[in-house]
Amino acid sequence: MRKRFDLLIYSWAWISTFAVFLTVSCLLWFLLSRGLPTIGKELFFGDASAWEAISGQVRVWDALWPACVGTLSLVFLAALMAVPLGVASGIYLACFATTPFKRILSLSVELLAGTPSIVMGLFGFALILFLRNTFFPDANTSLLLAASCLALLILPYLIFTTQAALESLSDEYRLIGPSLGLSQLQTVFHTLLPASGRGILGGVILSLGRAAEDTAVIMLTGVIANAGLPHGLLGKFEALPFRIFYLAAEYQNPAELNSAYSTALVLLCLTGILYGSALALHKTLEWQWNQH
Amino acid sequence: MEPALTQQKPFCIIKNLQVLFHGKPVLQDINLTLTDSRIIVLVGASGSGKTTFLRSLNRLNECYPGYSASGQVELALSGTMENIYQAGLQITELRRQVGMVFQSPNVLPVSIAQNINLPLKLVTNLDKKKREERLVEVLQEVHLWDEVKDRLKTRASHLSGGQQQRLCLARVLALQPKILLLDEPTASLDFKASGRIEELLLELQHRYRIIAVSHSLGQARRIAGKILVMKEGRIEHLLNKTQFENSEMLQQLLEEVL
Ligand SMILES: Nc1ncnc2c1ncn2[C@@H]1O[C@H](COP(=O)(O)OP(=O)(O)O)[C@@H](O)[C@H]1O
Ligand SMILES: [Mg+2]
Repeated sequence: MRKRFDLLIYSWAWISTFAVFLTVSCLLWFLLSRGLPTIGKELFFGDASAWEAISGQVRVWDALWPACVGTLSLVFLAALMAVPLGVASGIYLACFATTPFKRILSLSVELLAGTPSIVMGLFGFALILFLRNTFFPDANTSLLLAASCLALLILPYLIFTTQAALESLSDEYRLIGPSLGLSQLQTVFHTLLPASGRGILGGVILSLGRAAEDTAVIMLTGVIANAGLPHGLLGKFEALPFRIFYLAAEYQNPAELNSAYSTALVLLCLTGILYGSALALHKTLEWQWNQH
Repeated sequence: MEPALTQQKPFCIIKNLQVLFHGKPVLQDINLTLTDSRIIVLVGASGSGKTTFLRSLNRLNECYPGYSASGQVELALSGTMENIYQAGLQITELRRQVGMVFQSPNVLPVSIAQNINLPLKLVTNLDKKKREERLVEVLQEVHLWDEVKDRLKTRASHLSGGQQQRLCLARVLALQPKILLLDEPTASLDFKASGRIEELLLELQHRYRIIAVSHSLGQARRIAGKILVMKEGRIEHLLNKTQFENSEMLQQLLEEVL
């Protein structure tokens, strides 16, 4: 009886794992088969030459380049705002906050995490309306606004993963710092953070991916279909997920639909690159921790 | 061997120590004067308060929520006896002088060298050259130098359990403590690695005051100069060498512990 039950659990675990693998493979295969043929210079730069497009001499129409730059700028700006704030909040919650205060803070972070992204977008939109009616009649949706709303969206992921990574360290490990005569701050920065680096990095990657793929927020805060390269922090911009959405919803011929698939493929690769650079960053940090 | 005179001088006097967590007493009525220059070994059932007792000597219990305590603990740190619970005492300095090694080897996720260098850098104001000298010294002191001298820059977690535990000991010794607290330092090691640590402790007892918790009576008999038996948060017996080498007494001890 016991044995059969074990076998059942084992098979279930195996099937579930395999199902995940199968789903991802199918998805990839589908994307590759539809998207790969259209990937090329044409897709990225349209009629312009690559150099002219990258250096911004020529405006690129109906191609991916502006959207790539837009998405990268978005993710970079959002991370710039959210990562320091989120990691610091996580550290505070895990290592410094006292119990009653901690409960209130955790509850508000949970609330933030439960807020749908469209609401974040609406919030940004409402903010602009408010600013227009009050101090800045010229305020408009823009790259900066979209990035700020995205930062708000990914903040709870960063806080949660940082806190969880720190709290998963064993009680004994937490005592090493104090037992060696380190102050609380030294303990956090020199013993606890290095040990939870991998977990925190995981959170950062997760949140970067989340920021790269979100469409609802940016749709209300400044993305447009043919903005070209982003014109500064206060300009409109293009973004990959919005382009996918736009192409898939309004395609005129099968070629345009296929280019939606290849755009999806590019977005996937972009997230992969983000992942890779985060990993490289972690390796460098680890190396630095090992220096005298 | 130290001269007989200093052996008589106590290095630890505990008066009416009581430790509570969330109002529940964990240590009670601890009154104790320790004079020995040999290893003092604490034995007792799990949950009897051995770890808490050790941590009350470097005030590490305070890192936990719900802690409260009363009583007095005096340690001979800078020549004279000092109440370590007095107001205004530099707690980080106390913990540097009363070093502690834990049950499972807890190396930092950095290189072997950095495990020793980092606390040195943060806690003392030695320059780089002095720190490097100290590193070699302590690694030799724990007989790890020959095993690791060619791979000081590799991760400490790649060492074996016994090596890691010796590294943890070296990390503490580098800070030049007066008293060493060891909480079941061999509990997670195999027979051979335990043996090496025991030998090491027998050497170190001439240079440091050592209080160790042991999970095994056999080990306690091998290394102890005095055995403290703990039960339900109290010190039940204080046995000296002639007493615990007598097998009848030991039998009684066994019954107490179980
Ligand atoms: N930080 C703490 N918070 C609450 N209870 C604790 C804490 N540390 C120890 N205790 C309690 O004190 C008792 C003794 O624990 P401990 O000193 O770890 O015993 P031992 O080391 O002898 O196994 C146990 O019942 C344990 O639950
Ligand atoms: Mg214990």
